[in-house]
Amino acid sequence: MLKFRSVVSRIIALHLLAIVVTSICMPIALDLMLNYAARQLHHRALRDRAAEILQYLDTGPDGALRLSLPATLAQFYSEAYGRSAYAVLDPSGRVLLSSLPGAAAITPARPQTKRFEYFAARSEASEVFGVTVKADMGGQPLMLQVSEDLGHRDVLIDDIVDEFFTRVGWITAPILLLLLGIDVVIFRRALRPIVAASALAERIGPARTELRLPETGMPNEVVPLVRAVNHALDRLEEGFRGQREFTADAAHELRTPLAILRTQIDMIADRELAGSLREDIESMSRLVNQLLDMAELETFVIGEDEIADLAAIATEVAAYIAPLALSQRKNVAVIGTKRPVQVRGNAEALGRAIRNLVENALAHTSPGTTVEIAVAGAGELSVLDRGPGVPNAEREHIFRRFWRSDRRRAGSAGLGLAIVKRIAEMHGATVSVADRQGGGAIFAIRFAAVTDVDTALEHQLETVL
Amino acid sequence: MRLLLVEDNERFAVLLKRGLAAAGFVVDVLQTAEQAIAALRANRVEIVVLDLGLPDADGLDVLGDMRDRQDATPVLILTARGSLEDRVVGLQRGADDYLVKPFALEELVARLQALLRRPGNLLGVTLKLGNLALDTVARQVFIGDRPILLSPREIAVLEQLLRRSGRVVPKNLLADNLYGLAQEVGSNAVEVHVHRLRKHLAEVGAVVQIHTLRGVGYLIAAEKMKC
Repeated sequence: MLKFRSVVSRIIALHLLAIVVTSICMPIALDLMLNYAARQLHHRALRDRAAEILQYLDTGPDGALRLSLPATLAQFYSEAYGRSAYAVLDPSGRVLLSSLPGAAAITPARPQTKRFEYFAARSEASEVFGVTVKADMGGQPLMLQVSEDLGHRDVLIDDIVDEFFTRVGWITAPILLLLLGIDVVIFRRALRPIVAASALAERIGPARTELRLPETGMPNEVVPLVRAVNHALDRLEEGFRGQREFTADAAHELRTPLAILRTQIDMIADRELAGSLREDIESMSRLVNQLLDMAELETFVIGEDEIADLAAIATEVAAYIAPLALSQRKNVAVIGTKRPVQVRGNAEALGRAIRNLVENALAHTSPGTTVEIAVAGAGELSVLDRGPGVPNAEREHIFRRFWRSDRRRAGSAGLGLAIVKRIAEMHGATVSVADRQGGGAIFAIRFAAVTDVDTALEHQLETVL
Repeated sequence: MRLLLVEDNERFAVLLKRGLAAAGFVVDVLQTAEQAIAALRANRVEIVVLDLGLPDADGLDVLGDMRDRQDATPVLILTARGSLEDRVVGLQRGADDYLVKPFALEELVARLQALLRRPGNLLGVTLKLGNLALDTVARQVFIGDRPILLSPREIAVLEQLLRRSGRVVPKNLLADNLYGLAQEVGSNAVEVHVHRLRKHLAEVGAVVQIHTLRGVGYLIAAEKMKC
C-alpha cells in the first residue's frame, strides 16, 4: 500500500479518489434525475392533452359519442400533422373515435385499474408514447388514448437529456480538480506555521536551549503538541542549568579550601616538608580540576559560530606548559604549519585537550626529551613524545575514565585522556594513539572538516544568490 | 607597592595578605564588591587582586566599574570556577591576568610583578634575575655590580624576556618589539639576536638561561631551570 507521509499528499490522494468517484457517480445520478424529470414533463403534457380532449367530448342527441374539437386542435391531431393522435375506446376495446386512419386504436386496450396508464407502442416507422385515461361520459366508461410520436418529441428536452454527458456532465471533473487545487493552497497556508516551527525547532540544541516554538498562528489542533514540546524544553533547560550551577558551585566549594591549604603550605618555613605537602596538594588539585572539567564537559556545548585556530591553540598551550616542562628538565615545541588552521570549535576546550595530552606526555617521558605539538593544515593536532609508547593491548582502554596502566603511580586519576576523548567527540573529531617512529607515542586529534572561512563565505553567498 | 585584595573568604584573605606582605606589597583587604567599588573610586592603588565569587556581586562588576571609569590599574582575577568560559570572559572584560585557585603563592607574586613591570606602568625599573640586572632607563646591564656591554638590540630582547621572566615570550612578539609591526622581518633575525645574547651572557658568567621553545618562543630563567 502506498504510504503518504505528508498531510498534504495524504489529503490530495484522498481528494483525488473522491474526485474519481464523484465524477462517475454524479453525472449518472444527474442523468437519471434528468430523465426522470423529462418523463414527468411528458406525462403531464399527455395528461393535459387528454383533459383537453375530454372537455370537447360529449354525447350527441343520438346517444353516440362525439368530439367537437376547435379547428386549431383538430389541426394538431390531423393525420397530416402526424405528431399526435387520440383514440376513444369503450371498455371492451371497441374504437369509438380515433384520429388515426382506419379508426384504429393507438394501442390495443387492456384492462386498466389506474386512472392514468402510460404506454409505449412501436410501429415500423416510429415510436409512440402515450397515456390511457379512464373516463366516464354520462355513466358510460370510456378509455381515452392520447399519444405523441417520440420521433417528434419536444426537441429541447430531448437534446438536454441525450447530450447531457457531452454538453454538461464533463464539467464535474474540472470543477472538482479546481476545488482540489484551491484546497491544496489552503492546506499549505494552514501548515505554514508548522513548517516555520519545524525550522525553528531544528535550531534548538544544547547550545540554544532558550528557544521555544511559537503558539501564535498555530492551528488549534497542533497547539497542544507545541505546548507539550515547549514544556519538555523547559524541563530540559532546567536540567542543564541545574547541572551547570552544581558544577560551578562544586568548583568553588572544592577549590577554595584547596587554595587556603596551598597558600598555607607555601608559607611553611620547613622546605622539605613544604615540598612534599605541595606535591600532595598539587595532585589533589589536579584531580579536582579534572573531575570538574569532566563534569563541566557533560553540559558544555560549542556555540554555533565558534571558530578555533589549531595553530594558535598549539602555541598557547606550549607557552602555558613550558615552565612546567622546563622545571622537569624537558622541553616543548610546536612543529608543522604556522598558518591558521581553523576548525569549528571552542578554543578553550581544545586547549584543555591538548594540555592534557602534553601533561600526559610529560608524565611519561624522561628529562632531556622534547614533547612536540604538531599542527597539520588538514585539521589535525597531535602530540608526539619520546616516552615508552602505549602497548597495543592498552590502546582501547587508555581513554576510559579512571583507567591507569600503573595504579601505584601517584598524581594521576586516569581522567586526562578521558577528557581529551570527550572534548574530541564534542568537536566531531577523533582521538587516536599510535607508535612514533624512533620510539614514543603520537596522540592525534583529527577534525572532520577544516573551516576555510573564505570559501565558506563564498559558498554561502553562492547559495544566497 | 599598594595592592587591593578583594576576597570574601576571610581565612584565605588573611593568608594571602600575609604572603603578599612578605613579598613587599602593602595589602588592603575588602570583602564585598560594593566596598571594593567605593574604595577604588576614592583611592588609587597600584594593582588589584580580584576574586570573582563575591557575596554581593560578581567580581567582574568591580572590573567593569573600573574600566568604565577609564581606570587602567592592572587587575589580576582569582577564581575558583575556572570553567571553560570564565577565562575568556574575564580577559574580554579587561582583566590583565587570570589565576585559578589553588595556585602557588610564588606564581601569584611573579604574575603581579610581571603586571607591574609592564611598559607604561612604572618608569625606571631595574629588572633582576639571578646575578643579572637591567636598568630599563639607562639601558645598562649588570652582572652583579659589574656593567657589561651589549648591543641595543640585545638589550631590547633581554628586556622583553626579563619582563616576563619564567614565562614564554612568543617569538613574533619579540620580532614586533624589535622591528615594529610594519617591517617584514627575516624569519631568523630574532634567532640571531637571541643566539648572540645567549653567547654574550654565557661569556660574562650570567647565571641565567635563555630557553628556546621551538615554534613558540623564548623563556628566560635563573640557572636552576636547566633544559
